[in-house]
Amino acid sequence: MELIPQLLVNGVLYGSLLALPAIGFTTIFAVLRFPNFSVASIATLGAFAGWVANVPLGLPILVAVVAAFVISGIVGVLADDIVLRPMRPYGALTTAIASIALTVVLENMIRFGFGNDLRGYDLPLVRDWRFLGIRVGPQQLENLVLATIIMVLLFVFLRYGRFGKAMRAVADNPQLAALKGIPSGTVTRLAIFIAMGLVGVGGILQGLGTAIDPLTGFRFILSIFAAAVVGGLGSIPGAVLGAFVIGIGQELSLVILDPTYKSAVGFLAILVVLIFRPEGLLGEKRQ
Amino acid sequence: MTRRLTMKRRQLLATGAIGAGALTMPRLALAQSDGPIMLGTLTPLTGVGGTYGPSMRDAVAGVIDSVNSAGGVLGRQIELVSEDTQTNPEAAVRAARKLVDVDGVSAVIGTWASSVTTAVAPVCWEGGVMVYTVSGSDSITQLPHEGYIIRTQPNSQLQIEVAAQFMVDQGATRVAWIGPQTPFAESSIAILGDVAGEGGASMDSLIYEADRTSYRSEVDQIMTGDPDFLMLGGYAADSTVLLRDLFQAGYEGKIIGPAYAVNASVLDALPNDVVEGLFTWEGTPDVTSGAYARVQEILGVDVVDPYSAQTYDHANLAILAMAAAGSSTGADMRGGVRTISQGDGEIIDNAVDGLAILADGGSVNYNGASGPCDFTRIGDITGTQFLFRQIQDGQPVDFETV
Repeated sequence: MELIPQLLVNGVLYGSLLALPAIGFTTIFAVLRFPNFSVASIATLGAFAGWVANVPLGLPILVAVVAAFVISGIVGVLADDIVLRPMRPYGALTTAIASIALTVVLENMIRFGFGNDLRGYDLPLVRDWRFLGIRVGPQQLENLVLATIIMVLLFVFLRYGRFGKAMRAVADNPQLAALKGIPSGTVTRLAIFIAMGLVGVGGILQGLGTAIDPLTGFRFILSIFAAAVVGGLGSIPGAVLGAFVIGIGQELSLVILDPTYKSAVGFLAILVVLIFRPEGLLGEKRQ
Repeated sequence: MTRRLTMKRRQLLATGAIGAGALTMPRLALAQSDGPIMLGTLTPLTGVGGTYGPSMRDAVAGVIDSVNSAGGVLGRQIELVSEDTQTNPEAAVRAARKLVDVDGVSAVIGTWASSVTTAVAPVCWEGGVMVYTVSGSDSITQLPHEGYIIRTQPNSQLQIEVAAQFMVDQGATRVAWIGPQTPFAESSIAILGDVAGEGGASMDSLIYEADRTSYRSEVDQIMTGDPDFLMLGGYAADSTVLLRDLFQAGYEGKIIGPAYAVNASVLDALPNDVVEGLFTWEGTPDVTSGAYARVQEILGVDVVDPYSAQTYDHANLAILAMAAAGSSTGADMRGGVRTISQGDGEIIDNAVDGLAILADGGSVNYNGASGPCDFTRIGDITGTQFLFRQIQDGQPVDFETV
């Protein structure tokens, strides 16, 4: 019981890492109406793109984060254009399955290029700070701040920018948006670019606190999916809320559950939401 | 005009759940098969064991090349079929089914993770195919395999006993075991608890979920017992995360981990401070043997990992067992293994020499790269050496051999 405050802090830190890829996942769902599971490998790709910038090229971490965003965004758009877009006429289920195949291919391309070995970033590792008996890692705090800044910027961009309005219009009704002169193809591509960029940043932030290998993104795809579902698929604030619910829920579960069952919290959360509030915490009811 | 895609939410969520599940499902590998006597490798080419699998396979390929160059066995050439376990029991079972049912291999060589070996062994013995494994879990050779399993890795009981005694000898008073759920997790905890108890030390343990990206809370939990010597029970990827979290949490005690969990890639990925003073241990190959030198040559490396040394031995043992049994079926090879691995025959360290002696009516005793390769009734090796190392300035330095 004395661990609860510490577990809460750990949960918030973990939730902040989940939030960015969950936003990416839910954004793509909002615009294209299918769950794009290639986010798993795109997160890995972001982590590796950042690693290349940081270690072989010797660039600072902030630049590596930007590199992760850009490379993941570009590959996300290209992969969608080449693989997923041709699948869309066959239905959302077909496209979702194609995205699973895509993530396997991308993962193995990363493996082909970088091998299976673990890789660490060029970052000093320091002992955690302690406040009132609770420990917080400086790197984790930096990640939290960085994730928060990115989320605020994204919110402002989507809420008040022309693109945000255009994206919402396309998400709501692409035909009507096209009639109004909104280039839905361009808006969709830009939405995918931003979403996959965020997923890539989620991958590198995850890697900064651990080490990366071709399975980095795969390890947290279930939590990303659970966060998006719990928050309400298609809702960006919902994805953020869902990420913290899942993050805190998984860490707090240690009080009553064996650590072996941590991932079960994600499944349990999906189950509870499906039963009591199928649209998710902040999702809108749809017909 | 683009067609509007819609999916009902429940349908979508169900799809999503299936999709998330499918992502965890392994992928079927493809291989072609034809040729005389088939030997299969089933090593972890991807997944957490992916660091070892490729060289384990290459060591087997080297043996097969040399035997084929010398005329093959039973008057036939040998062909290798290589499959990937993905370090995942489900994928491994599918790959094993292919090796057994489609390729018709005589033996499956090189299963690495204990969970994988436990899953594929019944597929093999039911198909009448031998399994040569490097997995450590005690339960593997206790399966009702009727002689179809041969293991060159010291079992986990022996491994944990040796390491636990080392911890006590190094002055541990509050030991703890922390690792993922594996077939040897419970037995490791029990053995460490017994040895620690006899040495007057207290014992604590925590089993965590493999493949997490952070173990901060697990570390907080295990540190409530204030351990002074921790044993790691996982593999490389989770141990990397755990070691970072232990360092960040301010853990100051000693740590020991199996060498496969604290391997070169882990040392490369972590700053030196994090691993300074950490102990590793492993069953050590016989570095003075001719067989070891041959594996060095096959792989083109100076230091051969223990698993590649073992799969080199597996291939030699399997081929010699065929020759001794006069047959390439698993059922006949079962009996053949111990006639060429132990006893009073001429000591040999490779199949080519052994085949020549057997052809002349002689008997052989194979001593390999991993050690003497003598087996008990249930398929365990009868003994091996253990090497303890300590990490100093990011490099493993020999500490002691027992």
